[in-house]
Amino acid sequence: MLFRFAVAAGLAALAMPALAADQVEKAPPAGSYKKVSELVKLPDFLPGLGQLYVDPKTLPAGPFLAYDRDGRLVSTVYMLPIEDLSNKDKRFDDLAAPGGRVDHVDVYFNAGHPGVEKPHAHVILWHVSKTDEGRVAK
Amino acid sequence: MTPTRRGILGLGAAALAAPFLAGRAGAAAPPPVEILMRGNADGSQVWFDPVGILVRPGQAVRWVNRDPGNSHTATAYHPANLDHPLRIPAAAAPWNSDYLLPDEDFSVALTVEGTYDYFCVPHEHAGMVGRIVVGHPGAAPPGGTAALPEEAARAFPAVEEILRRGIVRRA
Repeated sequence: MLFRFAVAAGLAALAMPALAADQVEKAPPAGSYKKVSELVKLPDFLPGLGQLYVDPKTLPAGPFLAYDRDGRLVSTVYMLPIEDLSNKDKRFDDLAAPGGRVDHVDVYFNAGHPGVEKPHAHVILWHVSKTDEGRVAK
Repeated sequence: MTPTRRGILGLGAAALAAPFLAGRAGAAAPPPVEILMRGNADGSQVWFDPVGILVRPGQAVRWVNRDPGNSHTATAYHPANLDHPLRIPAAAAPWNSDYLLPDEDFSVALTVEGTYDYFCVPHEHAGMVGRIVVGHPGAAPPGGTAALPEEAARAFPAVEEILRRGIVRRA
């Protein structure tokens, strides 16, 4: 009995850091993610996207994790410079996708902003329904 | 050119600068003009509104960021600003607002006559540029627009159109 308890406790202790490292459902995400508005001069909450977090080492592509005003994950965003997309020698491989289930995907042009200054494509993996996109509309 | 403080103090600084300019000119300073920084909802388009404007020497120009989802700058084309080509009168001092968050503003008073071209640092490649004519336009910058990003070079309104209409909004 004591042995079983010790094994269970040991497994739980091992599992906790792993769970913490993977925690992205609620803001702030665990790991190396930083709030974008603290890295560059951008509004804290971007209409249409929400509150963004990114690991600076992954710029410009990301992933950026986007949260609603209650700190719930709504989407994973990749920002891919147009000039890179039209460069036959450039690839974006093995981009992390920590957000889990994807409901639908949007892709559209963005003129640029601090952090990703050149015109780029936003590739958005929505983890919520089309209706629930409204949680970050304003 | 007389730069004023950026951000929330910008309007106050412009108001404070007006009597100073009036004293120097010996007449009431013309009211400041306002140029808005704008963008659409998904950030696919960004622009200055108006994109071209005619002002009087000494008149203050105030940029206000009205784009709720982005930051913008008003930055003179000048080698002092990120090594950009000179596209303001040689006797004028350059300005750079730095990044303005939504509803922040920045003002300058332009005293040297001529044509001033400026850009938004993160959006020059997207064609977010503007042109101000102060009094008489003077000579065009040497070298034309060859050194500029294609979208920027295309976006400037013609000096003649600014002189004719006073204010030019984007098509």
